[in-house]
Amino acid sequence: MSKPIQAINRYKADLREMSFLLFEQFRLGELLGRGPFENWGEDEVRASLAECYRWAREVIGPLTASADATGCKLEAGGVKTPQGFKDAWTKLYEAGWKGIAVHPEYGGAGAPHVLQILVEEILSGANTAFTMYSGLTHGAAEVIEAFGTPEQKKFYCQPMYNGKWAGTMCLTEPHAGTDVGSNRTSAKKNADGTWSIQGTKIFISGGDQDLSENIIHLVLARVEGAPPGTKGLTLFIVPKTRVSADGAIQEPNDVSVGAIEHKMGINGSATCVLNYGENGKCIGEPVGGDSKLNQGMAQMFRMMNGARIMVGVQGLAVGSAAFLNALEYAKDRKQGSSIANFKDATAPRVPIIEHADIRRMLLDMKARVEGIRALAIKLCHHQDSLRSLGAGDDQKIAYHQGQVDLLVPLVKSYGSDQAFRVCELAIQTYGGAGYTRDYPVEQYCRDSKIFSIYEGTNHIQAMDLVSRKLSQAGGANFQSFIGDISKFVAENSAHPVLGASVKSLGSAHEALGGAAMKLLTWFHTGQVSMVPLNANRFLDMMAEVTVAWLLLDGARIAHEKLAKLDAAQPDHAFYSGKIQAALYYARNVLPGVDDKARLMLEEDRSPLDIEDAAFATV
Amino acid sequence: MKILVPIKRVADPDNANKLKISSDAKVDTTGLEWKPNPFDEYAVETALRLTENGANTKARVGEVVVVMFGPKEAESTLRAALATGADRAIRIDANDADLDGDVVAQGLKAIVDKEKPDLVLLGKQTVDSDSNQVAQLVAEYLGWPQATFAATIRSEGDKALHVGREVDGGTLHLKVTLPAVVSVDLRIVAPKSVRSAHTAEGHAYPDGVRFAALMAIMAAKKKPLVEEKLSDLVPGATRKIEYTSFALPPARAAGIKVKSVQELVQKLKAEAKVL
Repeated sequence: MSKPIQAINRYKADLREMSFLLFEQFRLGELLGRGPFENWGEDEVRASLAECYRWAREVIGPLTASADATGCKLEAGGVKTPQGFKDAWTKLYEAGWKGIAVHPEYGGAGAPHVLQILVEEILSGANTAFTMYSGLTHGAAEVIEAFGTPEQKKFYCQPMYNGKWAGTMCLTEPHAGTDVGSNRTSAKKNADGTWSIQGTKIFISGGDQDLSENIIHLVLARVEGAPPGTKGLTLFIVPKTRVSADGAIQEPNDVSVGAIEHKMGINGSATCVLNYGENGKCIGEPVGGDSKLNQGMAQMFRMMNGARIMVGVQGLAVGSAAFLNALEYAKDRKQGSSIANFKDATAPRVPIIEHADIRRMLLDMKARVEGIRALAIKLCHHQDSLRSLGAGDDQKIAYHQGQVDLLVPLVKSYGSDQAFRVCELAIQTYGGAGYTRDYPVEQYCRDSKIFSIYEGTNHIQAMDLVSRKLSQAGGANFQSFIGDISKFVAENSAHPVLGASVKSLGSAHEALGGAAMKLLTWFHTGQVSMVPLNANRFLDMMAEVTVAWLLLDGARIAHEKLAKLDAAQPDHAFYSGKIQAALYYARNVLPGVDDKARLMLEEDRSPLDIEDAAFATV
Repeated sequence: MKILVPIKRVADPDNANKLKISSDAKVDTTGLEWKPNPFDEYAVETALRLTENGANTKARVGEVVVVMFGPKEAESTLRAALATGADRAIRIDANDADLDGDVVAQGLKAIVDKEKPDLVLLGKQTVDSDSNQVAQLVAEYLGWPQATFAATIRSEGDKALHVGREVDGGTLHLKVTLPAVVSVDLRIVAPKSVRSAHTAEGHAYPDGVRFAALMAIMAAKKKPLVEEKLSDLVPGATRKIEYTSFALPPARAAGIKVKSVQELVQKLKAEAKVL
């Protein structure tokens, strides 16, 4: 008989680390109590994180393993979500965590993005699959808030922000995944002014569920006669169930669930095949009204920035939970004796955290997790600075917006790639126990794999970086980014503890600049296929330089604080950990940037030169 | 019903191993993480349940005032109680080093004289010093009836409470005339432990202490929080208890294996002296 799945919470977060980033490294206090964040003070930020953490551990954390085991079911044409999700959904919106950054006009608390993403980290870390439903709902509502007509905003946003209705993003079709432009779902204008929608969408997260009263699908479709490719796509609001003008639920809108996918992970999140208009009775309206036809991709892209950041944060969330669980296990599990006693068979057994290789894995995970978190906060801090500036200071606005654009693909790709690697290391730390369902890390590993694929694969992110973002504003955004790091290097290369690592950062960021020039040369000398071949590598280099910079900056602050503390005080260990993590990353990961730059200069073409038939003769 | 709930912040019990004691028996609190005393959180939850109807509307039928002794930075603990639903807060400015159970009880008496609540409701003890004194002392100073270690409370309007006390071997049921002092135990936050005069028959609360909603956290900073001076409330207050030293209990010695029952009996007699 298989073991029963226990409804216990395994999620842990490091609130001390979060408050370090917010208040010590990124000095959030300077933005609070004024402008858009007038209602927010340090106390409210801390209280929100602490209460959200308690809520997540008690309400959704205990559902994580059971939802993975049971998954979602398709019954009588509708999706049945795992036990406990419906109740948790109600409690989530009662508690108000999804409304934390929503504009007060729609009942939200208008918090800074840096706080919002930490709340998202906590929710996603406690239960990734459950948090998918509300995450997509939030994203869909944001699209309507940004591009809807005043009537659409009034009608849809509030019920979507307060959880009465949910939302989805419907892009992918059976033959149109990454190639969105080959979308075939059609929209046809009716005599009464409505639009008839017809087509099939696949891989729709939360495409159906039993959590909310209604689901508002945002569907990319091609209006009759529109141009082919992405330029001819319009985004339609298509409710699952029709709603009268006064908000009352009416008859079904001819949207049916064809199937749900059986997946490797996030099994509590229903991934649906949706059929629109099988009976010719599915109606929708263009986002922004009939004057906004063929603007679907631009509208979707706006949403995608937010969604891509959130996917990076999902990676952060799961990676962090995997690391903290592995750390707990390593302190508890006794196996083997200290290597200092290797000749003595009777030497006492020690907790595995005393073994050098376990320590290496733990510090590696710590450095990567804290690095991704700093990277995500850096991006969101630019967004918050932007909001605080308001209108007027065009130069600063351009700077912060430019850095946001540049960092989005890094957060999405590096966050998601590293999450999977951290989970893999966490399993290795546990040994055989980590491979079983008695511990949470194997589920974290399965859940995290999708992050590098959805919301634009990580190669799409890398191409976005090298072909759009690097050259944005005539390359000025990238120049400012390099300039910020140069300044940090110049100011800190004589640091008594971090100096050598800061010099490595100097070398790595110059190598990164050289690699960017190489990409340009390939573009301009007809060697365009070298660009996609090296795009992921370049993105990794840039992310590693950024993470090293942010970790070293945190370590610089920790070093200052440490000088004022004696060793007995609890924060002493915290700050020394920040320094060790930064040194580890700078000494063990950062040198790889120079290596990768050299590889790019060597222009290896073997993946391009090999014939298809030569990959294998089977 | 108007309820006064004294609360205390304590060093996070999960990190108690970080606590440092100086050679002159002073507790070093720098860098500690503070948490509300769990039993006081149960008292706040109990007070909220006694002043609402229990239904989904959570209509309030009374007032909950939280009061704390501590420095300015301890106000975040009061705000947390306001976020869960308390109506207003009082902070009596004081350093932890100047307080003991008796000073706190005298200060509370002075606050009760001003506020005139129907009920003083507090945790049975704090998880830092575990003294379990304040409820009893404040009842004595006020000359009010007391019921300690409450596991159940049923209210009969503003006149009296039926209190089930956790005692060795069972539950002791008391009827306490108001105004009174009641201290609460862990089981007071079970779903059906507390019934106000307005709670619907059969109503069950979620187990444990309620969550603070985000909007309530934001609204808490607009709720009234006033500061009082300890010296105004209790002129010349001095501690009756001084700590002279702290010591760990002796480490437990390793066990031994005995060869026979005879040897065991002999050792129990001669060494353990339990026979």
